[in-house]
Amino acid sequence: MKLLKELYAYREMIFSLVRKDLRGRYKGSVLGFLWTFINPLFQLIVYTVAFSFILPSPIEKYYLHLFVALIPWIFFSSSLQGGANSIMAAKNLVSKIYFPREVIPISYVTSCFVNMLLTFIIIFIVVIVSGTGLNFLAIACLPVIMLAEYIMSLGLALLFSAVTVFFRDMEHILSIITMAWIYLTPVLYPIDMIADEKIQKLFYLNPMTSVIVAYRDVLYYAKVPDLSTLAMAFLFGIISLIFGELVFSKLKKRFAEVL
Amino acid sequence: MNPAHAIEVRNVKKKFKIFYDKGNDLKDRILFRNRNHYEDRWVLNGISFDVKKGEAIGLIGHNGCGKSTTLKLLTKILYPDEGTIEMSGRVSSLIELGAGFHPDMTGRENIYTNASIFGLTKKEIDKRLPEIIAFSELEEFIDNPVRTYSSGMYMRLAFSVAINVDANILLIDEILAVGDANFQKKCFDKLREIKAHGTTIVIVSHALEQIEQICETSYWIEDGLIKDSGIPKQVHDHYLKSMEEKRNQQLEKKHHQENQVQPEQPAPEQLPDFCEKTAVRMGTGAIRFTNAILCNLENQKQFIFNTEDKIKIILEYQSFQPNLKGNFGYGIFREDGLHCYGTNILIETGACIPVQEKGRLEIIFQNSLLPAKYFLDIAVHSHDGIIFDDIRQVLSFVVSSDKYDIGVCRLHSQFSWR
Repeated sequence: MKLLKELYAYREMIFSLVRKDLRGRYKGSVLGFLWTFINPLFQLIVYTVAFSFILPSPIEKYYLHLFVALIPWIFFSSSLQGGANSIMAAKNLVSKIYFPREVIPISYVTSCFVNMLLTFIIIFIVVIVSGTGLNFLAIACLPVIMLAEYIMSLGLALLFSAVTVFFRDMEHILSIITMAWIYLTPVLYPIDMIADEKIQKLFYLNPMTSVIVAYRDVLYYAKVPDLSTLAMAFLFGIISLIFGELVFSKLKKRFAEVL
Repeated sequence: MNPAHAIEVRNVKKKFKIFYDKGNDLKDRILFRNRNHYEDRWVLNGISFDVKKGEAIGLIGHNGCGKSTTLKLLTKILYPDEGTIEMSGRVSSLIELGAGFHPDMTGRENIYTNASIFGLTKKEIDKRLPEIIAFSELEEFIDNPVRTYSSGMYMRLAFSVAINVDANILLIDEILAVGDANFQKKCFDKLREIKAHGTTIVIVSHALEQIEQICETSYWIEDGLIKDSGIPKQVHDHYLKSMEEKRNQQLEKKHHQENQVQPEQPAPEQLPDFCEKTAVRMGTGAIRFTNAILCNLENQKQFIFNTEDKIKIILEYQSFQPNLKGNFGYGIFREDGLHCYGTNILIETGACIPVQEKGRLEIIFQNSLLPAKYFLDIAVHSHDGIIFDDIRQVLSFVVSSDKYDIGVCRLHSQFSWR
């Protein structure tokens, strides 16, 4: 509770770090902030060409099928990897100035999140243009899914950012884990592709599975996701946040000593 | 917590792990598990003090004594291993200036970023913005990216933000060396103004006179303990004295070591044992000094003297020619080569003295030299200037003093006024 109050007092720091990150990213380039949109747009074009002509997929509108899952996945994986490194990257601040240490991973994950939200503008345009159509009731579920993914990513970012300070290999281990993780999550393929129901159940133990399935339900199939899927996503999110913060609060007192 | 106190520190201890061979990654941890030896170094061994609201205190001590660690504990960057620290009110620290500055952003944007790190909300920053800009004297440049700033401008901006946070407790680490003399004075005046408004201030500094000007109490920390506290001027005098003693001890030790090591190669003429290693000997050899001692009036050999001490030089010599008359003299040179003084028996008494086959001579002088390292030269000449023996830098000695007058030697001064 005390932490929440303090974080609220430091909200401007979170905002300004997010702002700095978003603006700093493309600072100096000619197109500047436009890159936030150009990047995913060209990604989409490449996938469309690749999976229509070079490697045709049996799945209808595979580019969209992939894209609506890939963007949330990129948010998750960059939160995980970059988030894990965030405390180390903010060494100068952490070892010299007091502020609630949670601010650093929170701002990092938030800036990734804002980036995803901006990319969603492209997603919506593509969804409309491609003729899949929008189910407004389903769209209304979107914020819930995003929130679930956000707290899940935040929890893991808290956990790994703290661990990485004391155990520097974590950064590299995580990059291998995320590489493998994408194949254990139905990002590149539909969840139905796993025919065996038992194995499919096993897949749902992966916290990201429910999230990605829910995103795809809303944006690709234009249907309201299962309540159970949403609940699962939320449950995982809350567990990860609580566990992450527990570990973080244990370790944060000694950050300045080892940095 | 006593409501009149802004800070209460109770028996705080802090240790750091010093790794002999630190392994932070997996390979090192597993392969070299045995090598993961570390030693606990206690930086603070139980410090307690209170700071009243609106009081300003200074923390002094030599490098590595634990004063900066204390400050970091107060800022909550570090946490104590034992003991408690309680503070009331918003804390701002001027430990790291310009935290989070982004070179590509404008001065104005960086004010927002930097101030937000101190926990200010946007509204609060908006309110302080004009004052921050005015204080930094950067009105014309405030919308330029800070990478175009000179380092002085950069620090001015950073300082302006930090000092305008309106904290209840302000922690300052050695940063009053910002910008030109003019700006420094402005910072100092601002500090006083802040203090007059009831802000509690803790300063860590080597600039003792700054602490004397602004603080009511000074704490001298040594080896992780508070060695002395009280009125700054008095504490600082004790501190300076102890620092000087320590320095002198080192000098003496070095002096000892240097003179224990005998040079391997035979010098052109073997220097006798009583000489410094750096001594240089000249002269015909008709008379040779056989001993030279610097001592006090009780004939106790001494290396360190005070400015007001009486110093005795004892010289022993041997003559190899009968019926010589000698003009004995001495000179004192400061370490940097300044010739401080010189005299001889001819100058003092108007005549040379008859030389015995084995003789002894004592010279007593009132020392008025100020603290430094000095060398003694001794010589014996004939009446018309033939050098029988002359040893430059035969002995060295150190002068210390507890007064802070400066120059070469003490001119006894009396001030009177109406």
